Amino acid sequence: MSRKIERLINLTIALLATKRYLTKNEIFTSVDGYEGSPETKERMFERDKDDLRNLGIEIEVGGFDPAFDDEAGYRIKSESYQLNIGDISGSEVALLSLAAEAWRGAALNEAAQSALIKLKSIGVESDLDAIPNISPQLRTPNADFEAISLSIAQRGVLTFTYVGKDLELQKRRVAPYAIATRKGFWYLAGLDLEKNLVRTFRLDRIDGQIQAHKSSPPYEVPDDFDILNYLENLGESETATLDVRKGKAHLLRIQALTHLDKGEWDQLTLSYQDQSRLIESILWHGDDVLVIAPQELRNGVISALKELAHNHG
Amino acid sequence: MAKSPQTPLSRTSRLLDLVPYVSAHQGIDLKVLADVFDVTPNQMVADLTTLWMCGLPGYTPLELMDLSFDSGYVTIHNADTLSQPRNLTIEESIALLLGLDLVMQSLPADREDLKSMATSLIRKLSLQANLLSPLRAEPHHNKKNSAAILLAISTKKMLRIKYHALYSDEVTERDISPIEIRYENSHDYVFAYCHTAQAFRSFRIDRILDSKQAHASASVTGSTVSEASTISYSLKLRTNQRDVMERFNLGKTQMASEVTSRAFSPQWLIRSVMASAGSAELTEPRVIRAEIAAAAAAILQKYGES
Repeated sequence: MSRKIERLINLTIALLATKRYLTKNEIFTSVDGYEGSPETKERMFERDKDDLRNLGIEIEVGGFDPAFDDEAGYRIKSESYQLNIGDISGSEVALLSLAAEAWRGAALNEAAQSALIKLKSIGVESDLDAIPNISPQLRTPNADFEAISLSIAQRGVLTFTYVGKDLELQKRRVAPYAIATRKGFWYLAGLDLEKNLVRTFRLDRIDGQIQAHKSSPPYEVPDDFDILNYLENLGESETATLDVRKGKAHLLRIQALTHLDKGEWDQLTLSYQDQSRLIESILWHGDDVLVIAPQELRNGVISALKELAHNHG
Repeated sequence: MAKSPQTPLSRTSRLLDLVPYVSAHQGIDLKVLADVFDVTPNQMVADLTTLWMCGLPGYTPLELMDLSFDSGYVTIHNADTLSQPRNLTIEESIALLLGLDLVMQSLPADREDLKSMATSLIRKLSLQANLLSPLRAEPHHNKKNSAAILLAISTKKMLRIKYHALYSDEVTERDISPIEIRYENSHDYVFAYCHTAQAFRSFRIDRILDSKQAHASASVTGSTVSEASTISYSLKLRTNQRDVMERFNLGKTQMASEVTSRAFSPQWLIRSVMASAGSAELTEPRVIRAEIAAAAAAILQKYGES
C-alpha cells in the first residue's frame, strides 16, 4: 500500500515540476513505481489519475504535437495546485483559526482542520492576542450536510423527500443556492425546479437521504441572494394589536413594535406574516393574551378556542 | 479522536500537506506534528518514512527529499516542488466561509477593524471557491450572555441571570454557578448549580434575558440532581399536522392517531395542547383535559362569546 502512496506522490512531483507536458511513456520510464506489462502500467496510470482528481488535484491534458505521434501529454499547473490567497496577516490567520474551531464536533470538522493546516503552512503564525477571547460554535445535526454544501459549490441538483405542513411527503427537486443557520435550525434555500420559484427548506424536515445530482450546464445562482434576508422577509406582513397581562407573555413582548401601559394590562403591536403561527403563539399564552385587532386574527383565535372547548368537553 | 489514517488516498493527501507544513515549521517536535495531523506518533513516523522515498525522477539522493526526524525533531529540505500549501477543496472553503460568518457576527460591536478583516477574507475565499451566494451562519443566542457564561465557567465565578421560564411564563432572577454548556435538541443549555433553587438545573441560553457577574461567591452545596416528576399523557391527533408532531416531539411521519408519552410539566402540556388548537385532543389525564376545556371557555367569555 505504501508503494501506491509513494507512486502517487512521485507522480504529483513529476507532473508539477515539468515545464512541458509529459507523455505516458515518459512517465512510465521516469516516475518510480510503474512496473509490469504495458497493460498493467496503463491501468495503474488511469487509476492514479482518478485518485489524484479525487484529491482535488487537476491534471491538465495537452501538448498534442502533429509533427510527432499525436500523443497526449500530462502536467499539473502550479497555479491550480497551490493555495493562492495573497498576503495574509497573523490576525487573519487567528480569525480563520476561530472559524475552523467553530466546527469542533460538527459535520465539517475534518475539512475545517485540513483547511487550517494548509493556511498555517503559509508560514504566518496566528496572532491570537489580536482577537477577543470568543469561541462561537456551529451545530449540524443533519448527516447530509456535506452533500448539500458540495452540491451548492458545484451548482448541482438535490432531490429529497420533504415533510409538508399536513405531514404529506413531497418529492422535491431543488437547485441549491445557499445554506444558513438561524435560531438553532439549518435552512436550505434554492430554486424549486417543479415550481420554478425560490423556496426554503428546514433541514430537519427532510425525510431520509438527500441525493445529489450533477447538472449540466450548472445552475446559475443570483449573486445578490442573501439567505438570511430572504428568511426574514417571507411575504407581506400585517400588524396585530394585542392586550397582554403585565409580567407575562415574554415571547410576544420581545417582538413588540409599540407598547402602551393600561394598568393591569399592556397593549402591544407586533408585525406578523403567518397568521396560523401567531394564533398558535396566542393560544400558548392562554388567558394572558387577548386579540384586539385585526378582526380576522380575532376570529381565528375564537374559532380555535371553540374547537378546543368542544373537543375537550 | 484520531481519524482513520489508513486509506491510501487519505494518507496521500496527508503526506502532500505534511511537506508544506514541515517546510514552514522546520525543527517541529514529532509529537506536536502528530497532534496537528491528528495521528499517533507511530503513524507520523510511518508517513515520514514513506515521504523519504519520494522525489523528482532520477531518485538519487540529489532528487529525493531530505528528511530528518530520528532526533524527535522534524526537518525537511530539497522539497521545493511540494513546499507550497495545496489549494483549498470546495468542502474546506465552505467550512471556513460558514465559520467566518459566524465569527464575524460574534465579534464585539467595537471591533469594526476585525469585522472588516473577516468580510474581506470571506470575499477572497468565496471568489477563489467560486461560491457567489453567501453562506450564512447566525449565532444562536445573545453573544454577551454566552461570553459571560464562558467566562464564569473558566473563572468558576457566580453569575446573576434574568431567566425566562417558558412553561410558567415568568421571568426570575437567579444566582447560578455555571458548570458546562450542553447541546440538546437543537439548543444550547448551560448546566449549572442554581443557588436560588439549591439544586442543579439546565437553562436554555437563548432564554437568558440578561446576565451579570454576581458579587458574592457561593459554594456549591447540594449534590443531587433534582428529580422532576413526570406525568403520563395520551393524545388523540385529529389532523395530520407537522407543527403538532414537532411540538410534541413525535416522529416526523408517525401517523398514529393516538399517542401516549410523558411530560415534565403540566404547564407545558396545557400550553402545547392549547397551541395545537383543533389538531390535538388530550384524552388523559382527565383533570388536565377538564382544565383545558375550562380555560378555553373562560377565554371565550372574555371575547364576549360563550
